[in-house]
Amino acid sequence: MKRNPLILVFVAAIVAAMLFAGIHAARKNRAGGPGPVSGELRGQVAPDFDLQSLEGKNVKLSDFRGKAVLLNFWATWCGPCKIEMPWFVELQQEYGPQGFQIVGVAMDDASNEDIAKFTKQMGVNYPILLGKEAVGQSYGGVNVLPTTFFVDRDGKLVAREFGLHSRSVFVDHIKQSLGQGQAVQAQK
Amino acid sequence: MKRIFACWLLLLCARAYTQDAPTLKATVSMAPAPVVTITQGKAAPVPLSFRVARGYHINSNKPKSEFLIPTALKIGATTDIVIGRITYPEGHDMSFAFAPDEKLNVYTGDFRVDVLVRPLLSVQSGKYMVRGNLKYQACDNAACYPPKQLPVSFQVRIAKAPRTGGKNPAQSPHAHR
Repeated sequence: MKRNPLILVFVAAIVAAMLFAGIHAARKNRAGGPGPVSGELRGQVAPDFDLQSLEGKNVKLSDFRGKAVLLNFWATWCGPCKIEMPWFVELQQEYGPQGFQIVGVAMDDASNEDIAKFTKQMGVNYPILLGKEAVGQSYGGVNVLPTTFFVDRDGKLVAREFGLHSRSVFVDHIKQSLGQGQAVQAQK
Repeated sequence: MKRIFACWLLLLCARAYTQDAPTLKATVSMAPAPVVTITQGKAAPVPLSFRVARGYHINSNKPKSEFLIPTALKIGATTDIVIGRITYPEGHDMSFAFAPDEKLNVYTGDFRVDVLVRPLLSVQSGKYMVRGNLKYQACDNAACYPPKQLPVSFQVRIAKAPRTGGKNPAQSPHAHR
């Protein structure tokens, strides 16, 4: 059977393009570039959860429906998480009146007392919930900290960031989740 | 067969395209440990060599913050082989892009941990396997990864202690003359 060489070239070009895109996307994530949520997650309703806060209250994500939410997975042993926290404190103050809420989820083995001590030292002004592996899994697996999700007022995911980024990246995503800005990057 | 290969290749490409959640691969590895010969009843250090993958760091055994997770080696309990002091190297004070004003005490690249092993006199001579875990928590320049346990194992060869019976000068008949 004779094969058209043009088809083979076409197939090879598609494979090469997909490989290039895959490698490029992976490198970008390692480099910590801005990362809107993948096509699988963006626009989907953020998985609801019911977690205990440091104060012992049960808190659901759906409790914040109507607000834009920054959902930050972090841990006391995570250096980059520590850098973000003062920014989050400021951003909560700045955008809170517009219907914005930061929620921290501690993915930590430390005791509640240690987590509370840490957040007190950092001056945290938003709720801290005690994370569970299952909640991380429902968000596609939280394998790296910090991991931050941005949820709009309808409870839909608009962006996700792995690792530490500049403050301006967070501001852009917050505006986007508040319905004030354009998507930071139309990746998909 | 070619079609199956083509489908597999396309699936692989598609996976590479959609897989964007970073995960931690083998950040710390252990070099094969030398088999150290130790005499019954005597102690000897066993050097264990580890390597932190390029671009990552792990906390030293004595990190500078109470909240950081120290690198620590735990050796499983053995019956007649006593595990003594574990000696860790000093870490390097380094600052990172995520905390330029803060120095962290970390291990990068190669580092060595010495484990003091002392077989009791009752241990029969021969080779013994000792097992444990190295607990570490790795970060790169922008993110941290959950604590991990690296399985550690090494062999020691136990040699018989030299015989001393009947040669004690204090008990020699000449000593009582």
